[in-house]
Amino acid sequence: MRFRIGTFAPMLAALCGFTPLVHAANDKPIKIAAAVYGLKAEFMQLWTAALNKHPAVKSGLAKVTVFDGKYDANTQNDQFDTMITQKYDAIIFVPIDIQAGAKAVEKANEAKIPVIGSNTRVNSDLLTAYIGSNDVLSGKMEAEAVLSKMGNKGNVVIIEGPIGQSAQIERRKGNLEAVKAQPDVKILEMKTANWSRAEALTLTEDWLTSHKGQIKGIIGQNDEMALGAIQAIKQAGLNLGDFDIAGIDGVTDALLAVKRGEMTSILQDANAQAQGALDLALHAVLGDSYQPQSPIWQQYAQGMPWNGGKDKVYNVPWTPVTAENVDALLKDRQESQK
Amino acid sequence: MSADSSTSPIKLSRWGTLGALSQQYGIVLAFFVLCGFLSVLNNNFYSIGNLVNILKQTSINGILASGMTLVVLTRGIDLSVGSVAAYAGLVAASFAHGTSPQPAWIAVCAGLVVGLGCGLANGLLVARLAVPPFVATLGMLSVARGLTFIYSDGQPIPDLSKSFSYLGEGILFQCPVPWFDGQEVLRVPIPILIFLLVVAVLWFVLNKTTFGRYIYAVGGNERSAKTAGIGTKKVMVAAYVISGLLAALGGIILTGRTGSGLPQAGQSYELDAIAAVVIGGTSLSGGVGTISGTLVGALIIGVINNGLDLLGVSSYYQQVVKGCIIVGAVLLDSARHSRE
Repeated sequence: MRFRIGTFAPMLAALCGFTPLVHAANDKPIKIAAAVYGLKAEFMQLWTAALNKHPAVKSGLAKVTVFDGKYDANTQNDQFDTMITQKYDAIIFVPIDIQAGAKAVEKANEAKIPVIGSNTRVNSDLLTAYIGSNDVLSGKMEAEAVLSKMGNKGNVVIIEGPIGQSAQIERRKGNLEAVKAQPDVKILEMKTANWSRAEALTLTEDWLTSHKGQIKGIIGQNDEMALGAIQAIKQAGLNLGDFDIAGIDGVTDALLAVKRGEMTSILQDANAQAQGALDLALHAVLGDSYQPQSPIWQQYAQGMPWNGGKDKVYNVPWTPVTAENVDALLKDRQESQK
Repeated sequence: MSADSSTSPIKLSRWGTLGALSQQYGIVLAFFVLCGFLSVLNNNFYSIGNLVNILKQTSINGILASGMTLVVLTRGIDLSVGSVAAYAGLVAASFAHGTSPQPAWIAVCAGLVVGLGCGLANGLLVARLAVPPFVATLGMLSVARGLTFIYSDGQPIPDLSKSFSYLGEGILFQCPVPWFDGQEVLRVPIPILIFLLVVAVLWFVLNKTTFGRYIYAVGGNERSAKTAGIGTKKVMVAAYVISGLLAALGGIILTGRTGSGLPQAGQSYELDAIAAVVIGGTSLSGGVGTISGTLVGALIIGVINNGLDLLGVSSYYQQVVKGCIIVGAVLLDSARHSRE
């Protein structure tokens, strides 16, 4: 008996440590569930942190619970079941798979829970609204950045995200659009590294060996993978200046790499996508009387107006990272992490 | 660990049942303590809807863990169940998708054949070629995953027929349960029924058939079992085949639930399956354990996942908690062994 209690004591202690022991004194806060596809990489971590910093969360108007999908569509589906049973007021959804996510949205819809899509897309017209950035555009922009540096001729390789996630599908579209427009550019390889820096490193190492001296441009569909490619080049003892590399997201390490002149990147505003989604969720729950509380709406007043919170799609503009603005972006990042 | 070397197979399974009972009682107690604790912390935990959810969320892992129990009882392990589940699910999906899908039963059979094949390969490697189970099934984990990606060129297979998805998302009964919770309606999802059926069948096999006794015998002491005339190789192959079949079944249900055959599905599912088996009291050294223990073990994992999600505990901490419980359960197991 003693052993058993001893076995479970650490677990009980852990649970006690993370339990809100005091219930909210006044009206119950609005329960928002944030179903994110995975938290192992920086972008979704920034997204989640930004969500928790939203004025409505800080004031106690909304209570956000984050469900980590662990990069598994089935887990996200299970978590939707839990959210429905637990009668969450609204769900913010960042799906891992564009198709499998549709089922989850359908279930929530039947339970009359509004679902706001953010960042990644899902093949469903049952979403109340979607806020994200146009991935076809960013795919095209990053490819064009690489190609123009290459003088629009030579060989490129493309490192992709998880096959089947909307970001991969759409950035690939953009990548290919840009490359096809340049007849003197050839794609040597195109493979997935699942958003992972480590996987991209290994992939690039292998490509550097099998296509020795032939690769000029490396298009990484996100920063993590582009950074992995950079590391592979460094570790192979090659000259980084011989390569033109691009990524997307604007995670901190990428901003630093841009500062060092090692790659180009395009900032995806996780802050806007997360906080904007929460405003849209609260509008769906509270109705037209709700005024959005996040400062992002002022920030993007030109490019992405609130429009009463009634639009179906909100496009958060991209911010290309250049030598001119990288310092300011780094400063913003540091501020947001305080 | 070799305390049982001199006992005959029959005595072994009797001790096995006794030892397992005491272990089992402890787990069941721990399970209820856990549930009670979580329901105090969150009043939404203890509702028909949530409990049904937990069972549903546990079903797939539970089915995989049931097959794993048999293999572990023979002193083996099956690391390939996650990959086999994905492979079988994807193959089944390929028969059940698009504008003119095959009848659901053909798709299901196709998936089960995949599981059978992988399980057979595992079993033959372990039993006939004496490859250590860890190594053989580790190889299969990789091979099956690779074959899965090759099969659909890394692409998902969406658009599955309703009849096929029924296994994953169908609901059998619907009856109001006024004595529990007022307006709540009890809906029993099909995966739960399949899971409970699997557990019941395996319970019967392990406890009431000769084959079941052979499984315990082989795991307890292979040499004695062989001397006693048991076809140990056949028993071991059978255990892996069953594990493969159940992994395939789990994969088919998973695919039905997800609505899409995903080649990256089931990653690391073998870890949760092993955890359920271990927490349930089945010894990794073979010969000791019960399927009901695995049932409780799987439920404990399901409750932890669900409960911690409800409490808003970060998934990072959830992983720490799960790891502690697994290690704790194994410590319990080895403490029990050293007491003899």
